[in-house]
Amino acid sequence: MEHQHLPMITERTPAGRRADSGRRYRIQQSGLEILILFLLVQVASIIYGVISPDTFAYVSPANIQTALEAIPLLGIPALGVGTLMIAGEFDLSIGANYIFSSIIMAQLAENGLSVWLAALLGLGIGAGIGLLNGVITLRLRIPSFITTLGTMGIWDAATLFIHGASSQPFNPPPEFAAVTAGLFGIIPAEFLWFLALSIVFWALLHQHRLGNHIFAVGGNKYAAEENGVPGNRAKLIAFGLTGACAALAGILAAAQIGNIAPSSATDLPLQAIAACVIGGLTLSGGRGTVLGMALGAALIYWIQDVLLLLGAPGFYLSAFVGVLIIGAAAIYEQLRRRQS
Amino acid sequence: MGIEHMETVAAKQPEYPEEGTVPLLELRDIKKRYGALEALKGVSLHVKRAEILALLGDNGAGKSTLVKIISGVVPPDAGSMFWEGRPVTLKSHAEATALGIETIYQDSALVDSLTVARNIFLGRELVGPFGFMHHRKMRAIASDVLQTIVAIEGIDSPDKLVGSLSGGQKQAVAIARAVYFKRTLLVLDEPTSALAVRATEALFEYLRTLRSQGLSSILVTHNLYDAYRICDRFIILSHGELVFEASRSETSVAELTERVSRS
Repeated sequence: MEHQHLPMITERTPAGRRADSGRRYRIQQSGLEILILFLLVQVASIIYGVISPDTFAYVSPANIQTALEAIPLLGIPALGVGTLMIAGEFDLSIGANYIFSSIIMAQLAENGLSVWLAALLGLGIGAGIGLLNGVITLRLRIPSFITTLGTMGIWDAATLFIHGASSQPFNPPPEFAAVTAGLFGIIPAEFLWFLALSIVFWALLHQHRLGNHIFAVGGNKYAAEENGVPGNRAKLIAFGLTGACAALAGILAAAQIGNIAPSSATDLPLQAIAACVIGGLTLSGGRGTVLGMALGAALIYWIQDVLLLLGAPGFYLSAFVGVLIIGAAAIYEQLRRRQS
Repeated sequence: MGIEHMETVAAKQPEYPEEGTVPLLELRDIKKRYGALEALKGVSLHVKRAEILALLGDNGAGKSTLVKIISGVVPPDAGSMFWEGRPVTLKSHAEATALGIETIYQDSALVDSLTVARNIFLGRELVGPFGFMHHRKMRAIASDVLQTIVAIEGIDSPDKLVGSLSGGQKQAVAIARAVYFKRTLLVLDEPTSALAVRATEALFEYLRTLRSQGLSSILVTHNLYDAYRICDRFIILSHGELVFEASRSETSVAELTERVSRS
């Protein structure tokens, strides 16, 4: 693999200038815009919260803790959905998966199976549902949007068939509750899971060969496979991870709330896609950052939180998220055009 | 290679034009038909080690079909291929690549949403023991390859996205990728069509360097002046048949032009 050094044909641009432009391109691709946006809204909210704590209790311990408990329940599925979007695919069945996997886990645990084993089985079912979406999509060569629209209905029905429409209680033993919904100092366990998973996904997508293959296959499957990238394998792994993330979020939510309502995750698939779009991912695949997925989810929660604190009616949320999605997509499009 | 194998092969082995030199690649009586169109009507040719062979001919002469057969993309209907004297059948592009044949097409397979460095190393990433990529190393090599092999103006960094490059710059990235992962035989299908003059010069200089290191190239081109400057031997195809073959010392640009336009 060694490469022969050859005489220069054209004069070299100064090394310093090359390093500068390299840094510029890397920053452009790092998801810095979303970080700046996130920090701006946080600073603004904190300042307003400090000035008038009575009308806007943003910096109160209760509000912070609620945020750190709620963000992971969207953020963890968004990590999976985002990875899959980068690979050029979608999963609309994550809400159905989140409910089905966690209800199976809760039923098994409530019927005497070790809760750890039940949770592991729940994760396995989630990953299996994701993989099945992948197999159907790739075997039948149909868009994953269609596949998962179908499997969403199938797994929703499966939940009703096995369990029914009522809430499923989940009362985990204290050790399990501690690691899934406990507090570590002031940090909820859910948030630590989210933080750890974000780092794992960052390492996988941005540092590992598999991540490079996921980006490549989502960007241009033909070109990736021409270069020896196992495209379907990369996509299948992304499908499996998406399913596992959905199940993990369902399990954490079950432990946090103490029961699972079968209709509680209807909005999850589109919210996760929205979080990813706000975080700079494209619907066409091949682009995005883990930082964007995580902060996109945090921003959606932030809108919800601010509206709640200001006493706005609940339906305002969807309107504001809608504006943010369109605004974010438009801004990213402009940024991309300027890059090329 | 076992002796038994040698004997079975011996019967099929072609006779070599020069005593004692086994050609790198030899094609014998290759035929290919697409429905009613007979694209190749029995073409025989060979590529020696350390030579640059020009594959010339007008549109529809069969050049592209021949390139596709050599790169394993389409199988021939009849005829045989020998790689270093051994018979081979290429069932896929991957098999040709494994043999050491790298083809650079006009529309080379690049991923627009990845950086230049990541495209060069796509599918062949430099990784550590757990599969984690050596970003710094890949960037440094990519930067070096782009500066030295295909000195393309405008690619100021390996971190640039390929989607933001011009057609010629993209082709340069494809060429850089092929020459960095040194193959024994490079097949370049109209590589200079989108390149600026300086970039073409740089590419030719590199092909000469590769030749001095014992690597061979097949250059498919419409530009006879370019071909004459760099190639050692010339083959002209016309209507699926090989109509002219000469080494550089035996011919001239005028004769090549005459032969191609007459065919």
